[in-house]
Amino acid sequence: MSGSAVGLAAVPDPVFSQAMVGPGTAIDPERAPGQAVAPITGTIVKLHPHAYVVVGADGRGVLVHLGIDTVQLRGEGFRLLAAEGDHVEAGQPVVGWNPAEIEAGGRSPICPVVALDASAESISDVASGRIVVGDELFQWS
Amino acid sequence: MAERKVSVESEVGLHARPAATFVQTAAKAPFDVTVAKAGGQPVSAKSILSVLALDVRQGESIVISAEGEGADEVLDRLAEIAAAS
Repeated sequence: MSGSAVGLAAVPDPVFSQAMVGPGTAIDPERAPGQAVAPITGTIVKLHPHAYVVVGADGRGVLVHLGIDTVQLRGEGFRLLAAEGDHVEAGQPVVGWNPAEIEAGGRSPICPVVALDASAESISDVASGRIVVGDELFQWS
Repeated sequence: MAERKVSVESEVGLHARPAATFVQTAAKAPFDVTVAKAGGQPVSAKSILSVLALDVRQGESIVISAEGEGADEVLDRLAEIAAAS
């Protein structure tokens, strides 16, 4: 999605802001209808309307979480554009949503993008500022 | 091999905060710790990827297993985290 890379520290949920789930960054998305895409090429091992995990050929997984406390929406406002078990290319749409609607509902639409089972030291070149779909968010060595 | 069977009571299941706390606690153990859905294949309780992929929902039972000195204490703590609502 397009928006602004703001870092995990900006996420209003300590589970993410303290990197309890893992290191990475967060995107403050444009407040317009958009698509959340696969962060890496691989298999969608878990797909919820509000969050998904893609695992690459090397077995490493990346979590994308669409907004905070959005599990409470039980899928409302999210449109699945892929299925669990699908192979996806990096940049391929996975979920359609509207961050403006999430925000209007009183929740933060900020999106943590997290490297799972990664050490903080293995993440580098973390993006900051304006980003568009396809921009690299961080390097995972 | 020591094990605990618990019902996951968190509204979000074993995701988000409960999952992160669960994995962080398991990761501190100097021995292997596994978690499985009742009757299912065990996965590493030290891997957030494995635990998220296990996709345990509220009300589902899990079996947490470990073997080693102090396994009972670790399992008790993990069971407590998993059972917390």
